[in-house]
Amino acid sequence: MPKVQYINPDEVRKPGQLEFKPIPVNQYSKTVEEEKENFTNEELVKIYHDMVVIREFETMLNLIKTRGEYNEVPYNHPGPAHLSIGQEAAAVGMAYTLDVEDFIFGSHRSHGEILAKGLSAIGKLSDETLEKIMDSHFNGVTAAPVKEGHTGTTKELAVKFLIYGTLAEVFARETGFNKGLGGSMHAFFTPFGVYPNNAIVGGSGDISVGAALYKKVNRKPGIVVANIGDASMACGPVWEGLAFASMDQFTQLWEGDMKGGLPLIINIMNNQYGMGGQTTGETMGYDVAARIGAGVNRDQMHAERVDGYNPLAVIDAYKRKRKILEEKRGPVLLDVLTYRYSGHSPSDASSYRTKEEVEAWEAQDSIIWFGKELVKTGVATEEQLEKIKVETTDLITYALKLAIDDEVSPHMDMKKYPNLIGDMMFSNESVDKMEDRPVEVNHPMEENPRVQQLAKKERFMFDANGKAHSKIKTYGLRDGLFEAIVDRFYKDPTLIAYGEENRDWGGAFAVYRGLTEALPYHRLFNSPISEASIVGTAIGYAMCGGRAIPEIMYCDFLGRAGDEVFNQLPKWQAMSGNVIKMPVTIRVSVGSKYGAQHSQDWTALAAHIPGLKVVFPVSPYDAKGLMNTALQGTDPVIFFESQRLYDIGEQFHEGGVPEGYYEIPFGEPDVKKAGSDITILTIGATLYRALDAAKTLEEKYSISAEVIDARSLVPFNYEAVIESVKKTGRIVISGDASARGSFLRDLASNITELAFDYLDAPPVVVGSRNWITPAHELEDYFFPQPEWIIDVIHERILPLEGHVAVNDFTEAEQLDRNARGI
Amino acid sequence: MAVPVMMPRQGQSVESCILGQWFKEVGEEVNEGDILFSYETDKASFEEEAKEAGVLLATFFEEGDEIPVLTNVAVVGKKGESVDEFRPGAEAAAEEIPASESTVETADEAPKVFEFEVDESETGSRIRISPLARNMAAKLGVDISSVKGTGPHGRIIARDIETAAAAPKVEKAAAPVKAAPAAKPAPAAIIESGDDFEVKSIPNIRKLIATAMHQSLQNSAQLTHHMSADARQVMKLRKKFKKQLEAGEIKQNVTINDLVCFAVIRALEKFPQVNTHYLGDKMKWFNKVHLGLAVDTERGLMVPALRNADDLSISGLSSQLKELSTAARNGNVNPDLLNPAAATFTVSNLGNYGVEMFTPVINLPQTAILGVCTIVPRPKELEEGVYGFVPMMGLSLTYDHQALDGGEATLFLAEIKNQIENLQV
Repeated sequence: MPKVQYINPDEVRKPGQLEFKPIPVNQYSKTVEEEKENFTNEELVKIYHDMVVIREFETMLNLIKTRGEYNEVPYNHPGPAHLSIGQEAAAVGMAYTLDVEDFIFGSHRSHGEILAKGLSAIGKLSDETLEKIMDSHFNGVTAAPVKEGHTGTTKELAVKFLIYGTLAEVFARETGFNKGLGGSMHAFFTPFGVYPNNAIVGGSGDISVGAALYKKVNRKPGIVVANIGDASMACGPVWEGLAFASMDQFTQLWEGDMKGGLPLIINIMNNQYGMGGQTTGETMGYDVAARIGAGVNRDQMHAERVDGYNPLAVIDAYKRKRKILEEKRGPVLLDVLTYRYSGHSPSDASSYRTKEEVEAWEAQDSIIWFGKELVKTGVATEEQLEKIKVETTDLITYALKLAIDDEVSPHMDMKKYPNLIGDMMFSNESVDKMEDRPVEVNHPMEENPRVQQLAKKERFMFDANGKAHSKIKTYGLRDGLFEAIVDRFYKDPTLIAYGEENRDWGGAFAVYRGLTEALPYHRLFNSPISEASIVGTAIGYAMCGGRAIPEIMYCDFLGRAGDEVFNQLPKWQAMSGNVIKMPVTIRVSVGSKYGAQHSQDWTALAAHIPGLKVVFPVSPYDAKGLMNTALQGTDPVIFFESQRLYDIGEQFHEGGVPEGYYEIPFGEPDVKKAGSDITILTIGATLYRALDAAKTLEEKYSISAEVIDARSLVPFNYEAVIESVKKTGRIVISGDASARGSFLRDLASNITELAFDYLDAPPVVVGSRNWITPAHELEDYFFPQPEWIIDVIHERILPLEGHVAVNDFTEAEQLDRNARGI
Repeated sequence: MAVPVMMPRQGQSVESCILGQWFKEVGEEVNEGDILFSYETDKASFEEEAKEAGVLLATFFEEGDEIPVLTNVAVVGKKGESVDEFRPGAEAAAEEIPASESTVETADEAPKVFEFEVDESETGSRIRISPLARNMAAKLGVDISSVKGTGPHGRIIARDIETAAAAPKVEKAAAPVKAAPAAKPAPAAIIESGDDFEVKSIPNIRKLIATAMHQSLQNSAQLTHHMSADARQVMKLRKKFKKQLEAGEIKQNVTINDLVCFAVIRALEKFPQVNTHYLGDKMKWFNKVHLGLAVDTERGLMVPALRNADDLSISGLSSQLKELSTAARNGNVNPDLLNPAAATFTVSNLGNYGVEMFTPVINLPQTAILGVCTIVPRPKELEEGVYGFVPMMGLSLTYDHQALDGGEATLFLAEIKNQIENLQV
């Protein structure tokens, strides 16, 4: 809600009507003869060649899947193969004009796009660069098998490399483009501009938008193409990606050369089926997918339908749309009509379509038709085309033999290196800035009003007499976060932050106050209320080489970004074979007071998913130190913050929060109060209630409690906790998450296993109830309270003399609650 | 539903056991964990706990009966339930019951109501104790069966062990007596009594010892050599260990007997022909030393074997010998270790009782046994012309002349003396 934009009631209340421009449908009408003036014969033959390569590659996989052999080479491939036989013209047409630095993203059915873009890039790259690319990818491991005995040109070698690298990846070989960790549905090769393909339908719909954002913000050449299916247009994250990509602010608020739309083409590879569901006529209502553009923005996304059975029609569209993107008028929506003869997967019996329908499309097969046109127009002879086919069959046979040879193309040796995949889950790098160039800021940091204000604040909560400073004078947790983030903005030129209300408002909880003044729009901006796109775009942004801080305003909204947080963000480092880094720190604010959908601690959800680092600092010192570590790293971090604590002062770290830069390593729990009789381990804001309980225990019952703040959930080093338990023999684990299935339970189970012989009682979990979070007035019955901790100690661990428990933590109650599921 | 109680099998080689004593009478309520009866194997006595609650419906054997293992000895169930099907030997009879009859019976029972009998009492012999408290008790030597738990549900927790350990000794000393009343042998039955005598039965274990000793003397050619060893070195070592123990530097109380055993094992390593079993027409040579230790218990002499004793350091040997003799005294030693064939050589120490010389009896099929006697100061020439009193330990080696000649036996005994005098640990 920028103040420069005045919402005039007289204007917006005026009557009128919206008008839509016509959306072109299959308007391309040139003949091959006519196109001869735009293409050389070699170019036209290359188009034919590339289509044949894709067809043969997919046909080979189809035969391997359905008959267990191709060209007398037997093989059993148990994994997936979603083939695109019939869609070759659409893929080659899409890729033909793209430059190497243009990025494509894809779907589960993207073998054709990988090959088309790869062949296009090989055609455009110099021999020297190609050699370098092949030699440097995994130190030449992927290239070695095809280099062996190769006698032809470098470009021919590169083609072999492309086919082999893709196929070895499909067959999960260590020599594949992603060490076999991506496989058929995720294979990609960034040096050729092929970015991750995505097994989740519509998965690329928001990730690709982040890639386009990266190109724009970092002034990188090239455009981004999102190849997504017609059925993915029903997916929420795709719509969220469209909303994000078409934000008015790009043209209305971003300044200077940043003004203008994203260089993005949403390319609907419209094969007219979503698995077995027919999009037009059955599962969707758009009739023509291009219609969607009309609903998105004033430009209607420059949408049009293109005949994807004619490669020249697609090329023509790309040439025209590229201009629009270069004029910064993106994004563009293309509805490229095509058809697949192959089933959704080899198990598809095609029960949803007739034989006649498939035959009718085969009768208009793009490769046959285009070949005939080339012969008819004298571009090529039949012998020439036949030779291409024969050579392609040889090439595919050669690559298949090589890719299934266990000697040449082994699987990862998990026997010898049992932690091989484990070691790839995180990149664990320490990087000041993702790119070395000056940062774009509005003023020197010391001129920033917030920075100046912080200089006057008390960095420790208490004065020399132990009296707390006034709230307004106290340096709070939000200040710790701000200092770490502003510091990184002045270090890393690629860093961007966005989310709901991040600019102007300064974030819903004022963490970013002062950042609006410091940063231009393209580094800090408001996103649509669209969590899937907030996280999804950050993933795309990081994949391309940037660093991002997306914000989820309330933890409860994480579900809105479920696929992005649980399926995309954590997986791509390992699925890429560590080609990709993922420096994304998602700030997630855990609420209270606002009831059932604004007060939940979902740390367990994040901790459960392999590939995410998860932290939850609750003091200003820890918040700043852990945020510095998060922003210095190259891994995805879910950074939880508590709305109860944004203004809390530092009361543990002697000397207060340091002004300079420091890091706190992830995974190290911190003893906030030493003690000898019982350990209380907490996650999140519960720490302060545990400290209250510790005080009562000491004063009333002479029990000395050691209070440990977990700080991190993933990774988590148990040593300090085990040492404490060895000393005390007793432990309560507490946090604000609903107890069932929480990370508290995970801690308890590990502690029981690791310190069993030292325990004087079973570790007991005090979490929130397994209910809806009630209104603020009833919250004390839901979230763990200091009295709960004392009662549970009395009832389950160490009966306290003279204590009368109010809350029922008996085994009988535990059994009953579990039996009732509450 | 009624369930049978079987005579358990204690150890692979045990085929039958002697029923010691019934602790419950037929018709009496039984809780899970209550002791039903005691029984004896060759050399150890055990107690059988009830695994189900109910009423003791029937017992099939009398005290003193020899019962094959895995035979039903009693039935626990609900009042009125039939026990016949569990009576030993009843299986065959049951098969003979005409099918029609049993069908009728089943029909009578229907409809069947499933009843759960929940045992609410905490009186079973299972002790609720935290892992920490258990470890502390072991370290502080606290007998947990005498400790009252103050944790949730009466669980013994760390503070209870601390309290027990800090309590005056008297209380602690009383505990074992209270704790192990059932470990005592069953009182002997009086068979016949006159004015000035009673003829009493002898316990099974006495019978077994009698047979073994008699057979040993009948079936071997035993003779004993005596020698004495300068005990200054072992006494010096003992003093050092004692001091370290008091200072808390070590945890194991290493005794003179432990040191002698350590020396014997070293000697056996040099004389493998003594570490043997004599089997009449052949000899069994062992390449490990399994040391038999004669232990005097309330039930009689027991000689449990310490397997692979040659692998142990002095502290390991000390702690394992302690464990073994305690187990033998408590009657819960693994019966397999009591088999004379389990040991390759035996040490019997009567030094504590002031015995100056004796002729121990070989535990056949072992080839020899060493008797360790008390330490007596004897005059000895310390240096030329200077005499002083030196503590000397008596050693009595009984060996089977069938297996060993006098020369070999003497050299072996001299090696033991040598080891004791120059012991390094």
